Order: sequence, then structure tokens, then C-alpha cells
Amino acid sequence: MNQIWIIARLEIRRAFFSRRALWVYLLALFPAALFLGRGVSVNYDRREYAAKPATPAVILDRLPLGTTEAAALAAAGPPLRDRTWKRGQTTHRSLQYFDGSNRVWLQFENGALKTTRRLPLHSFEQDSRIYAGVFQYFYLRLAVFFGCLGIFINLFRGEMIDKSLHYWFLAPVRREILVLGKYCAGLIAAAAIFGGGALLSFGALLSYQTAADVEAYLRTDALAHGFWYVLAAVFGCAGYGSVFLAAGLVLRNPIIPAIVMLLWESINGFLPELLQKLSVLHYLQSLCPVPAPLDPSAPPLARMILSPAAPSSVWAALLGLVALTALVLWAATRTARRLEINYGAE
Amino acid sequence: MSHDLILFDGVSRFYGEVLGVNKVDLRIPPGITSLVGPNGSGKTTLMNLMAGLIHPGRGSVFVRGISPFAPEKLMRILGYATQYDAAPRGITGFDFVRAGLLLHGFSPAEAARRAEAAIATVALTHAAPRKIAAYSKGMRQRIRLAQAIAHDPAVLVLDEPLNGLDPLVRAETIALFRDYAARGHHVILSSHVLQEVDVFSDQVILIANGRIVAEGAIRSVREEIHEHPSQFLLQCRQPARLAALLFEQADILEARIDPAGSGLRVLTRQRAAFADAIQRIALGGVAIDGVLPMDENVDALYEYLIGGGQ
Repeated sequence: MNQIWIIARLEIRRAFFSRRALWVYLLALFPAALFLGRGVSVNYDRREYAAKPATPAVILDRLPLGTTEAAALAAAGPPLRDRTWKRGQTTHRSLQYFDGSNRVWLQFENGALKTTRRLPLHSFEQDSRIYAGVFQYFYLRLAVFFGCLGIFINLFRGEMIDKSLHYWFLAPVRREILVLGKYCAGLIAAAAIFGGGALLSFGALLSYQTAADVEAYLRTDALAHGFWYVLAAVFGCAGYGSVFLAAGLVLRNPIIPAIVMLLWESINGFLPELLQKLSVLHYLQSLCPVPAPLDPSAPPLARMILSPAAPSSVWAALLGLVALTALVLWAATRTARRLEINYGAE
Repeated sequence: MSHDLILFDGVSRFYGEVLGVNKVDLRIPPGITSLVGPNGSGKTTLMNLMAGLIHPGRGSVFVRGISPFAPEKLMRILGYATQYDAAPRGITGFDFVRAGLLLHGFSPAEAARRAEAAIATVALTHAAPRKIAAYSKGMRQRIRLAQAIAHDPAVLVLDEPLNGLDPLVRAETIALFRDYAARGHHVILSSHVLQEVDVFSDQVILIANGRIVAEGAIRSVREEIHEHPSQFLLQCRQPARLAALLFEQADILEARIDPAGSGLRVLTRQRAAFADAIQRIALGGVAIDGVLPMDENVDALYEYLIGGGQ
């Protein structure tokens, strides 16, 4: 254990600050930046609509379908926005109001009220679902995936390219210990970067919610959700990290394992149940506290790629991921025992 | 299993279809042993096999009774300064040596003390806090040597250790090798220049094309060298006549008219008898303008041995 820790300590700076680390940080911070931007937009809307006249919801709700434009205008008063357009023989008109918390659109066709559409100025539930979608479709599938590719595949392959791997092989360290020490260094760095990124983005999500929403969320699920999001990111690093570390021991070109792994993870939802268990994403999806929304009108290919595999229980997911990681690391240590220094072939 | 020898038993190693070394049997006792051969002859392959950086395709290697497949044991007694010029990115000379010692299990304080001592031994104390990337080639050579000796190994393996060293440091480094050998340790070093190592080596292993051409105590190799035919250029205007006389009067192996037209090239094993014959022929009236030895330098003799091994 002592040697594993010494190796991890010696390696960790490289894992955090390698030449190629900048894009890893960008990937990790992208969701936080996204939700901070969303916060800026929501706060801007709040300020803008706060200065606009509000029409009581009760007046807007009382307008039955078929109401004429003139009657609606007489009841609700002048709208915030008034837009008219023609499509074929039909004249469309949209009147936008604000009822104090929702934006309401009265949609007219040929002068009669056809639909009333209501969108909250901001909805925590909606943002929470969007966050779940960003976390699962972007963060776990792409950011953690490619971030771990950048960090872990270079633990051995990067040193082969730098022609410095032999220094490790000339230390009185079993190759298995060397693999585990380097893996720990990569895992600490990846977990800090992507666990931190998950925490930051979750904080960014909460940063612009109303005090009442935040208070209610904190009283119920906030801590548990935050915990599971961070844990999913950390376990994602553990799973993908083991795969890419092993790939770095045997393959020179990182693109090949990345493409193969990405394809495997993408089609996993359609594989037989036994094969599904050989996917990192399969377990990670089961750890996420909020199901990611999947638009039924999305193209079939996108639905195929994005649809999740059958979920496992949380404990089964944790144990499955640990077992999968241990299996891959075991294979990596076996490979490392026979690994030779052959810089000429690089 | 001998615990004070380095053993190669029928070791072959190919890189794909390219020969590295072939059917090597060696028993290397403690002392200074030089692996000598031209570039690409297999010296580094032998050293990498010793250190476990590569593995034999056939045969086995043991270093003082330890298999290179057990690096956790082998590297406690072996220090290897490779020829690979790279160092871990962004590291200082001091940290480079200290990191190796930490992996040996030394406490941070002891590792720092040993690192300072090893760096002082190779006269690099002034440059220790600087990044290795800023070192000259000779300094990088020395810092690798410092790392190899820092844990005081019983087997020191050095790939072309004298390359790029200035004369003063070179003399100090050779003194260091002698000191190691005097303590019963192995010092295995490689060179492609025989003169460079024959003054301080206890044993020499001559290698060419992946095969051992000659090995043994430096004295016996020198004797073998002295027995090889010597080549002379006899500057004269009647090379054909001179050749006929030499075949009559001296034990010569070969006589060829110099293609450059300078005279006659002669190959003989009996240098003394050849000298007497030349004197007699000259006194007999055949004009000989000069006698030039063509292979007096050690490299030429070495090339002869390597040639014999091919």
C-alpha cells in the first residue's frame, strides 16, 4: 500500500497538470458554465418581467376557447407582445401576457381563441430534468468518458511517447503495484476534476432558483441528489479510467479504444442482459437520482443511442461497477507484467 | 544457482524478425565488465535483458540469483543508467534522483540525503535544483548515473556511460567504477570503442550481430588480439617482385598490390620474421621506400575479431 501511495503521489501532478489537461478541465466545467449561463438568463427574465404589467391569472383562465380577439383584449387588456401572421387561408394571432409567474400565450385562428399556452417564467422541476439530461447525455457519456481517456490512457502510453517509462520499470516495484499506483493517481485527479465539476454544476443549478424552491429542495432531496450525481461522476472515472489505463498498455492509438468503447456504450441498451453488465454506462445510469428525459419525437438513431439499459438497483450498480473495474485492472496488471520497453516502435 | 554471477543461459531475443541477440551464454563474475561492439550489435539488448526492460524469447537470465521477472527484488540490487536521454517532464535533477529513492522505500529525509550524496559524486550539486530539460547531454548522462548509484546497488549497469563526459569527470567516473568493483560489486558497461574500456576493465565481452565474439579477462583478449595477422603497406616501385621475394623468405598469409598504386599490402602473423625478411630484401637491392603498419590501432584489431565472428 505504501508503494502504491508513493507512486500515486509522484504521478498525481502529471495527471492534474499534463500538457493535454486543459480540454479535460473545459469538459468538466462545461455543465457548470451552462447552468451559470442559464441562471444569468433566468435572472434577466425575472428583472424584465418584474417591470412589466401583470394580468391576473384568473382573468386569463376565464377566457373560454372560441373567445374573439376583441373580447379577449377587452378582458385582459393590452398584451406584452402581439404577433399576427397568415398561413394559407388561416390568420394566426398570438397575444402574450404575464400573470406574475407564467408567460401566457393566447393563440387565435381566424379571430377565435384556439389554445392557451402557459410557460412558467422559470420552473425548478423543469431545470432539474434538464440537469439530469445534461448530466447523463453529456457529462457521463462524453465529458467523463473523454476526460478519462485523456488522463488514464497517458499514464503508460504518455510515458512511452516521452520515453520515460523505463524509470518506473527500474524501480523495485512489482508491475501490479505500478499499475495500481498509476491508476490511483489518475483516479484521484479524474475524481477531483469530474466530481468537482458535477458538484459545481449542481451548485450552479441551485444558484438561481428561488429561495422557496431551494429551501424545499434542501429539506427533501437536494443532498441525496448532489451526493449521487457526484458519486456517479466518480464511479464513472473509476470505470472508464480502468478501461483506458488498460488500453494505454496495449494500444498505441487512443482513437481506437475511444471509438470502440463509445460504440459499445452507445448500443448497450440493445444488447442481451449479460452483455449489458459489461458496460460502465449501464451502472452509472442506475446511480443517477433523476431519470434523464428522452423526447419521444427524437430521431430513431438518437433514441437508440440515448435510451438507457434496464436499470439495476443502486447497490447492484455499485458492486457491478467495482467488479467490472477490478476485472479490467486485473487484466491490466497481467499485461503490465509482460510489458517491455520498446521506444523504437513508438 | 550462483548468487555472485550474472548468468545468461541460451538467451535469444528477436524484435519481430530482427535479431537482437542469439544463443548467448555468459557467466559474468563481479568486477568491471565491458560489453564492446559496434552500434546495433546487441549491447543494449543484453543490458535491457539483465534489467528486465525486455524479456528473452528463449533462455533465461539471472542476476545474482534473481530473475528479472521479479523487479521488486532485482532493482534493490541493480542500478541501470540507460542510454535513453529523456527524463520525466518538468522534474529537477534532485527530485529525479530522490523520486527513485522514495520508491526504494527510503524515508523522505534519507532519500534526500542519499540523493544529495549521489549527485555530489557525479559533481552535479550546483545543477541539482535545475530542471533536467535544461541540462547539457553530459549533465543528463551524469544525473542518470547518480540515480543508478544512489541506492548503492551491487550491480551497476551503464549503457555508454562515458559518452559526452569531459576528461576530468570521465576520470572521476572511471575511479567510481573501480571503487565499485573493488567492493565486490558488478559494474557492467557498454562501449563501441575498445580503447576506451580496455584500460580499466577486468573482463571484456565482444559482441557483433547479436553473438558473443570473444569474452574473458582483458589480458586473454589482448593476447588473442596480438595473435591476429598484421597488415602492412610496403611502399615500393616493384610490388610484384617484392611479393615473390616475400613469399620465398617470410611466412606471409597474403600479398596484394595496393589498389591506390602505393605499393604492396601484406598480411602476416610473424611480425618479427617479416621484419627480418624485409631487411634482407632491402639489403639485396630491392628499393622499399617505406613500411607502414595498417592496423596498429585497437579498433582495427577489434574489427578483425568482429569479422572473425561473422
